[in-house]
Amino acid sequence: MRNFWLQLWRGNPPGPILFLIGTMTAVLMSVPIIYVAWEALNAGADRWLRLLDDRIPGLLWNTGKLTFMVSLFAVTIGVSLAWFVNRTNLPFRKQWQWLLALPLVIPPYVGAVAYIIVTGPRGWLYDLWQSQRWLQAVFSEYPLTIYSFWGVFFILTLFTYPYVFLIASAALRKMNRNYEEVARSQGLNTAQIFWKVNLPFLRPAIGAGAILIALYVLSDFGAIAMLRYNTFTAAIYYQMGSYDTTSATVLSVVLIVLTLSVLWIEARTRRKQQYYQTTNTYREPEVLPLGKWKWPVFFFVGIVFFFAVLLPVVVLIYWSVIGWKAGTIDLNFWQYAWNSIKVAGLASVLSMALALPIIYMKSRYPSVLTQAIEKLSYAGYALPGVIVAIGMIYVYSQYFTFLYNTYYLIALAFVIRFLPQAMNAGEASLSLVSPRMDEAARSLGHPPWRVMINIIIPSILPGILAGGALVFVSSLKELPATLLLRPPGFDTMAVRIWVDTREAIYHSAAPAALLIILISIIPLKYMLKKY
Amino acid sequence: MSFIKLTNITKYFSDSSIPAVQSIDLSIEKGEILTLLGPSGCGKTTTLRMLAGFEHPSEGSIEIDGREVFNETNSLPPEKRGIGMVFQDYALFPHMTILKNVMFGLNKWTARERKARAHEVLQLVGLEDYATRYPAQLSGGQQQRVALARALAPKPHVVLMDEPFSNLDAGLREKMRYEVTAILRKANTTAIIVTHDQKDAFAVSDRVVVMKDGVIQQIAAPKEMYRCPKNCFVAQFVGKTNLLTGTMDDDLRHIHTHIGKVSLPQQWQERLETVKLSIRPEGCQLTDKGAYCGAVERVTYGGEYQELYIRLHNEPHLSEEPMLIYASIDQDVEVGAIVSFDIKPELVALVE
Repeated sequence: MRNFWLQLWRGNPPGPILFLIGTMTAVLMSVPIIYVAWEALNAGADRWLRLLDDRIPGLLWNTGKLTFMVSLFAVTIGVSLAWFVNRTNLPFRKQWQWLLALPLVIPPYVGAVAYIIVTGPRGWLYDLWQSQRWLQAVFSEYPLTIYSFWGVFFILTLFTYPYVFLIASAALRKMNRNYEEVARSQGLNTAQIFWKVNLPFLRPAIGAGAILIALYVLSDFGAIAMLRYNTFTAAIYYQMGSYDTTSATVLSVVLIVLTLSVLWIEARTRRKQQYYQTTNTYREPEVLPLGKWKWPVFFFVGIVFFFAVLLPVVVLIYWSVIGWKAGTIDLNFWQYAWNSIKVAGLASVLSMALALPIIYMKSRYPSVLTQAIEKLSYAGYALPGVIVAIGMIYVYSQYFTFLYNTYYLIALAFVIRFLPQAMNAGEASLSLVSPRMDEAARSLGHPPWRVMINIIIPSILPGILAGGALVFVSSLKELPATLLLRPPGFDTMAVRIWVDTREAIYHSAAPAALLIILISIIPLKYMLKKY
Repeated sequence: MSFIKLTNITKYFSDSSIPAVQSIDLSIEKGEILTLLGPSGCGKTTTLRMLAGFEHPSEGSIEIDGREVFNETNSLPPEKRGIGMVFQDYALFPHMTILKNVMFGLNKWTARERKARAHEVLQLVGLEDYATRYPAQLSGGQQQRVALARALAPKPHVVLMDEPFSNLDAGLREKMRYEVTAILRKANTTAIIVTHDQKDAFAVSDRVVVMKDGVIQQIAAPKEMYRCPKNCFVAQFVGKTNLLTGTMDDDLRHIHTHIGKVSLPQQWQERLETVKLSIRPEGCQLTDKGAYCGAVERVTYGGEYQELYIRLHNEPHLSEEPMLIYASIDQDVEVGAIVSFDIKPELVALVE
């Protein structure tokens, strides 16, 4: 028995308390999702058949179409922008580098709010339309409907392309000039070099970006539901609203399968992506002159920036000012803001505390069990928030009723959703602390728990805090789990944005949206450094 | 009674069926400085880490100062073994001052004793003035002395040093060899040092243990090890040597080889058929009327001496390696010149 245990840990087992905390965290992280799957399997063949016949094909088509189109366009825009910014003599390229990443701080549902205000019925554009008789004469009806597939597609593409932009930029910056010069010496021209050298080199980045976007679209609830499109997440949410929880679990399982298959593709492609090279002969790539294309390209880059950052922010500021004048920034508003900060803060502190044992085990005690614990901790992160929320409703309304309908449960949901963000940040710091440090402390007579407090935590504190900040901001923006789990009357900023936009009280939604954007800027620097 | 005792230690890593360390028996006396020497992957660091408690042996037992710290059923954690460890990268805690680093292992002492002891060891390593600095502000050699002071502070049974000199450049390395030994002697402590460099090993230790593929090849004092290597591996790993095969003469004192008759340091006890010989290049001296004669095939200028590769006249075929001998640098030797030399029996050894 002892030998088996030792062998499992390659002769180096962790202490029982550390192992217990890690295991319990993993259980906490994964039980809600396992419960959803279990409920769905027990839903009965009738219900499955009915849903398969009736709802699922349509949802699959809607979800698939949206995922594919958004991924395709976000990748195209992201890669081309990265190319222009990093490799051409585009004017102001240094500034564009971070300006074009800015949409990261605007959650798509907040972007949706801005565009509903601009293009929606009774919006600015509509009024403009009504005032121009000749336009009505030509097109007869107002042609823009934001509440449509193209509306959702537009919003999601606009606010997700920065992920691809950052990944592709990083890859382009690592690209060694030598390869291009070899190609040139072999007689290839610039266009041929792009297709035969640059593009294959970018393929891993493009693949990683596309998968990231696809996962995002699969899990997004806010923007999609606000724009009244119907994908799995929205359908699950409304199914819960009509108290048909069992159907909601069935739809959840289909969505889980979809998500896992994307993750599976990701794992398969990642294995093949080992052609980054950072040899010491690295030389910065050559900058291509755009020539007569300089200004058209500048115009394109500017247009993307205008739609993804400038317009939404200006619209939100405009309506915030209206709201401020109308007195919407009152005690109630600060109550929502405080609620948001309270829940997100609690989630962030919990995440930092729970991430520590897991990353420590992963780094110092590698084994099959550690891997399992780590994988399970990612369950809630990989899967859409609605599914986590449903699982938690099930588990906590039945077994932990004292937590049910309290805001602690929302904080717990945020931990399940975002713990891996804290883990990633801490892991990066911990990888810089040599295991020899731990051993030195042990050999000086300190038991493991004291090593943790005296050596490990002080050394990786910046990373842990950065992770906590990421969790805080993500929690602040989170919408579906908050909506499903909040106790009656407990409103956060995200909830207010959702409710007020649906009721077209824009001057009340805008200040909260603006505040969320402002707070999201805090960890941006860290996020940019990561790519 | 030996102070530290490893009995029949074998270690398998889980991903391999070949043992990293195989049936090691080793006894160390109190106050002795012992070196584990061998090429990378020979199991020397694993042995050290098992002694410290960072790795668990698959079999065997370890005893420190009369207490069994590891056996089949029980393993004492590193913090309870009373060892002081100096790591290759020193592993000084970057967020603590030198004084705090040194006091880190004294948490069971009273505040006043801790301070006094920390200053005492810092004085021992000659770094008392640096107590308030941080590790990053110190040079490599100073960091190493701090690491040593930190390990010595709690008065451990034994100090374990993993490749202590490998991060230092050549000049500093020589200086630190001397300083570390002096400090260890002054502290009157038992020490086990792991190194892959035979010069380190010879310079600092009372006894050297040569390991290869997890097996101990030879345990001996440096001088004895150099003069009488037990087998071909030790002969070649510890310095340069000429390996020859031959047959034993009837007088049991001479060996017939392809370069001629070579004398052994003393008469052998038993008659052997084919034997292997190790002849150190230092044992060959150029003289006018030497017993061995040949043409210089290659000369390598080594700084302190010249390496001459000599093709003997009476060699039957050219497949043999040329003889390597050392010549002092004031001698002018040209490639192609005919030279003669003698071999000192003291630096000739029969090897397995």
